[in-house]
Amino acid sequence: MDYLSSNKILIVNLESGEITEDELDDELVSNRIGGVGVTSFLYDTYKDKDPIVLGTGLLTGTLFPGSALGIISAKSPKTGEIAHSPFTLKAGMELKFTGFDYVVVLGQAGKPVFLWLHDGVADIQDASEIWGSDVWKTTDHIRRGMGDDLIQTLAIGPAAESGSELAQICINYWGSGDCWGFGKLFGEKNLKAIALRGMGLLEISEPEDFVDQCFEIFENINKGSFQGKAGIQDIFSAMGENDASEWLLPSVHRNSACYNTPYPTNTFLYLDEDPKTVAEPAAPEPGFLVTDPCALLELKRCGLSAKEAGSVMRACARYGINPTAVAEFCARSGEKSMENIEKSLKDLKGTISIPDCGRFSCWAPGKPLFSNFDVSDTSEYGVWWKRRQAVAYIFGVHPIFANMAPELSEELMLQMVNKGTGLELDQEILDKVIEDVCN
Amino acid sequence: MRIDVDALKCIGCMACEMACGYHKDDAFALLSSCIVVYRAREKKDYFGVVIKEEESLIIARPEGLEIKRIGVAEEPDSSGQKREADASAKPMLLREPCDLCSGMKYGPMCVKICPVGAISIVEGGE
Ligand code: SF4
Ligand code: SF4
Repeated sequence: MDYLSSNKILIVNLESGEITEDELDDELVSNRIGGVGVTSFLYDTYKDKDPIVLGTGLLTGTLFPGSALGIISAKSPKTGEIAHSPFTLKAGMELKFTGFDYVVVLGQAGKPVFLWLHDGVADIQDASEIWGSDVWKTTDHIRRGMGDDLIQTLAIGPAAESGSELAQICINYWGSGDCWGFGKLFGEKNLKAIALRGMGLLEISEPEDFVDQCFEIFENINKGSFQGKAGIQDIFSAMGENDASEWLLPSVHRNSACYNTPYPTNTFLYLDEDPKTVAEPAAPEPGFLVTDPCALLELKRCGLSAKEAGSVMRACARYGINPTAVAEFCARSGEKSMENIEKSLKDLKGTISIPDCGRFSCWAPGKPLFSNFDVSDTSEYGVWWKRRQAVAYIFGVHPIFANMAPELSEELMLQMVNKGTGLELDQEILDKVIEDVCN
Repeated sequence: MRIDVDALKCIGCMACEMACGYHKDDAFALLSSCIVVYRAREKKDYFGVVIKEEESLIIARPEGLEIKRIGVAEEPDSSGQKREADASAKPMLLREPCDLCSGMKYGPMCVKICPVGAISIVEGGE
């Protein structure tokens, strides 16, 4: 695969230490397109060896709006079946530029390790020193050790090391869309983190056409219904949760976007500094970047203030535990004290409900945002949502942004992938891949 | 004419960085961009944009714009510390400077692609 791709599938066997590479052949892309279409194929191929498969879409890392997505596909400890988890911020883009389109991690390492992917090179590195550390210390350690603050990490904390099904893989210091307990799988493999950094280059089959059209799409989108809106507070409003929006606003420092995503879906809360601070704060760790609107909403419903909810989410991300699961335990027990919730994280055990979101993560709110996508009947939301998520996960588009930009139609994504790769993918192939990854 | 950035408006999406990379390399890559989002102070939520010009670095911080002449020794600030833009700004010195996307039919690509209108062209500069 010569275009929008590094043409490499990396296979890492943690048990033997063997690292091999396969080509990403055109035939596989012609049949499975990319993203979750290919990760689920690779999962099936290596099914007997406990695979964790990472991947990106053909549009990930390009100028196509919202092209921020990386995906983890594996067997969920919660359902026992294959599921897919999104990773965004700058990590999806960074994986694409490491020089590997897909990464298959097999087996169990004999001692704690982390996987270092950079500039077409993959190294298994010793992580004994950071085993037991929380997620923040892990990311700090890896960045300091490599002398590069822009390394993106997919890391676990003590929750995953202790075998908890509530464990979450975090991105750098923040929560992720891992609602499937994939953190536990990292822990079982003795895999503390995957560190990503790349200075790769993606060739484009018809560069001028592709970029012309990206600009056109940008212009259309920027006239769209989310214009003038920003952050999780406005996502709350779009979800019909206006009081949550007001509840959150006083703690908001800034909103920020995942790679090339025109809507900033992330909101940084200053917890130990005045949120109005503009200059660089003196405190090294003044707050928390909320990337998961649904988890924050659940913590609000438990009766916490926005600051307390932000603090609990920060504690969850350090410990590497899914904040939605924590909120569910709090709702059950009626616990409303932030201190008690934070202290209880290491003792949380038991099962939590599995949301009806098929194989995709319930991280993306379950309805259209800012626009109705011509889905007026709320009973159709479930079917619409699963198809929309499947499409986003196949092409590499931010799953929350996909739900607010009807301009990004399936037809348009196919057209852009064809321009970018020179392939001739059509709706029939897309329908087949969607059906396969949804069932 | 030069590029100006309102870093308080910026949402750190890196679209400008990739657009500039495309202008330099005719492919998607970040290695040659002369506009870069500095984002290494992630835990503080402190980010902005750096632009490499022929003779200066334009550092758009949330609290305002700073122009540093390349090769001129920095003055320490009132605390005696030399302020640095960021680790991510350092490799900038080796890159080709901004040419305002000369030869591109789009005009300055970073201006055109910024989703929040944080980048503009102003009179003056080099
Ligand atoms: S005007 Fe062009 S060359 Fe200058 S920073 Fe913007 S994209 Fe780069
Ligand atoms: S495109 Fe605009 S919002 Fe995005 S990083 Fe550049 S200046 Fe900031």
